[in-house]
Amino acid sequence: MGIAFKAAADTAGSTETLLAANGLSKSFKMGEATVQVLKHVDLSIKRGEFIAIEGRSGSGKSTLLHLLGALDEAESGVISYGGKDLASLPSRERCKIRNEEFGFVFQFYHLLPELNVLENTLLAAMVKFSWVDFRSNKPQLQTRAMEVLDSLSMGHRLTHRPSQLSGGERQRVAIARALMNQPKVLFADEPTGNLDAETGVQIMGVLEKLHRQGQTIAMVTHDRTVAKQADRILVLREGKMMPADA
Amino acid sequence: MYKLTLILKYLRKRRIAWISLIAVILCTAMVIIILSVMGGWLKSFREQFHGIVGDIEVSRLGLSGFPHYQEMMNEIEKLPEVKATAPTLQTFGLVNIFNQIPDGVQVIGYDIERIEKITEFRKSLFEQYELQSQRLKDPKTSQPMKDAAKSVIDRAASFAKPFSPELYRSIWKDAFPRSTVDANDFPGIIVGAGVVGIERQPDGSFKGRDGIQYAWVRLTVLSMGEGTTRISEQNKSERMYWIIDDSRTKLWQYDQSTVYVPFDVLQKDLGMDERTEDGVLKPGTTHRITIGLKPGHDVAAAVPKIQQIVNDVLKRHDVEFSGRNALNVRGWYDTPGTKDFLAAVEKEIVLVTFLFGMVSVVAIFLIFCIFFMIVVEKTKDIGIVKAVGATSWGVAQIFLGYGLAIGIVGGGLGLLAAYVIVSNINTIHMKLGDWMGISMWDAKTYAFDTIPDKLNPTHCAIIVSAAVLSSLIGAVIPAIRAARMNPVEALRWE
Repeated sequence: MGIAFKAAADTAGSTETLLAANGLSKSFKMGEATVQVLKHVDLSIKRGEFIAIEGRSGSGKSTLLHLLGALDEAESGVISYGGKDLASLPSRERCKIRNEEFGFVFQFYHLLPELNVLENTLLAAMVKFSWVDFRSNKPQLQTRAMEVLDSLSMGHRLTHRPSQLSGGERQRVAIARALMNQPKVLFADEPTGNLDAETGVQIMGVLEKLHRQGQTIAMVTHDRTVAKQADRILVLREGKMMPADA
Repeated sequence: MYKLTLILKYLRKRRIAWISLIAVILCTAMVIIILSVMGGWLKSFREQFHGIVGDIEVSRLGLSGFPHYQEMMNEIEKLPEVKATAPTLQTFGLVNIFNQIPDGVQVIGYDIERIEKITEFRKSLFEQYELQSQRLKDPKTSQPMKDAAKSVIDRAASFAKPFSPELYRSIWKDAFPRSTVDANDFPGIIVGAGVVGIERQPDGSFKGRDGIQYAWVRLTVLSMGEGTTRISEQNKSERMYWIIDDSRTKLWQYDQSTVYVPFDVLQKDLGMDERTEDGVLKPGTTHRITIGLKPGHDVAAAVPKIQQIVNDVLKRHDVEFSGRNALNVRGWYDTPGTKDFLAAVEKEIVLVTFLFGMVSVVAIFLIFCIFFMIVVEKTKDIGIVKAVGATSWGVAQIFLGYGLAIGIVGGGLGLLAAYVIVSNINTIHMKLGDWMGISMWDAKTYAFDTIPDKLNPTHCAIIVSAAVLSSLIGAVIPAIRAARMNPVEALRWE
């Protein structure tokens, strides 16, 4: 088993569609009532593209991101990733894609409180490799994790626990964890939503830098200023995708 | 890798899980201690009964005995599996020891040279075995003393008196100046340690032995021949003995109330010796034939062969014992007293183990509750690990592994705790007695003066395995719940 540490993406400017959704619908039961959150949503993301899905709270943007990231299943519609229909893949295969090809950054960071910064960053690698493979490649994996943390200015806090970090630092660690396995798509769900303005700008700087390096990013936000930093803005309103200026 | 990492982290950081760990430790230790003490108690009983009774006995109900035992013994000894046989008498008597201890006792008549080849009786004797063994083991013992101790152990056990005839006559004369009997004619008697008040001290030494070998005993027995309907003065037989040794079989009912005398002497006193009455030769009788088998031979297989010999001898002499009076051949474990006693102890062990096993079920429920709480508390973590690619089975494995780890650590520590407690249980018991006046183990109740202090490896392996399995079972439902959790719902969980 070997681990390649190539750049996150080397196909910047590609016109190839990496991820596409056609006719996605999703509803939730709220007591007796059924709320239709997504109504026949279509979208596509090209390799190396940075898209922002903008919408108000409750507009279904996080739900859309979860469906695109194979965290949840749509009631109807197709999500194709690399030419494969995600819904038709076995559960184990979807888990593998989530682990090796997708990375997630959440609004509330979602770090494991028992693990320190380095261990949280290594979590995706721990899931990817068996105990034996992880042990035999531990020096390389740790080096990779430290490189990622260094690039996010978190190299000095390796042994700190999430409770000992600020919000911005936690989000950097969450980004580092998402980048650990060199994902093809980075999903960011309101990455600045829980941060002060200054820290939010720093985090967006990090995402922009990643994008410049060729990382495909799909971000949802309610903040137009944040969304403007993406290549393309899609607006989700009442469960439907609208043009950005609508 | 993430599973092991999270299991170890949860084990170290989630202190609530330590409650399950403590529950597993306590339950494991408790059941091992109970089974070790009770199982050790039963094992001791079996060994001691076997050691006293021999492998097989031929006996009948009542005190009148049976004839032609010599012939039976001769024929039984011809069986290739039989090592030796010995006639044994057993009756009740009254003792007066040195005018200080009047008591009712069980009297056993032993052909001591024969019985030594069959039972462990020799090892129960203080002067003829225990003391000599101590001297041989003691590095401070001089070589001549060691040689002397070895020669005592090497020669056959006996009722022979250890002192000169003059000494016995002199002791008797001092006590009874006007007596005309020759005190050296008194045969030797071995007394149960408890009969003369000898007590084992916590340090292993004995209290109350001083001077007992200079003490005389007056033993009164009553003969009860076949068809005896009432006891008269003529049935009474009184005889003087000198104490030559004391016996500690470790079976309380033997040590506390039994004296051992030469077979031929007791046989005569009970009127069971060969004698001519009204011109008719009456053969000698005995209460029991004790039989020892050679090592490796099956008791159950030998019993029917011996029964056949016994029946043949009785038939040859036209003697018939039937119904309640039948002459029975039994394996040691089937002998009256032994069988009922061992069965009662076995039932008690099953009952106590069952009761404590039920208590241990509480531990499984506790683990289940705590794990359920942990799964609820860790819902968000489950969402996170699923978001980074963990499978449902992988998530289930975290909690199953967590349960397994608690079982292994708890079971291991429980075993260690049980080992420490059981190994030192007599010291702990003694200290509890010293500090708080608590005495849980009474030799009168449990027959042995020390609490069994050995762990049974098989029992330990079964109990620790049960602890591990129980912990795993306690974690199954929470693990299934965690595995089924939708990652998005888990991440949104507050």
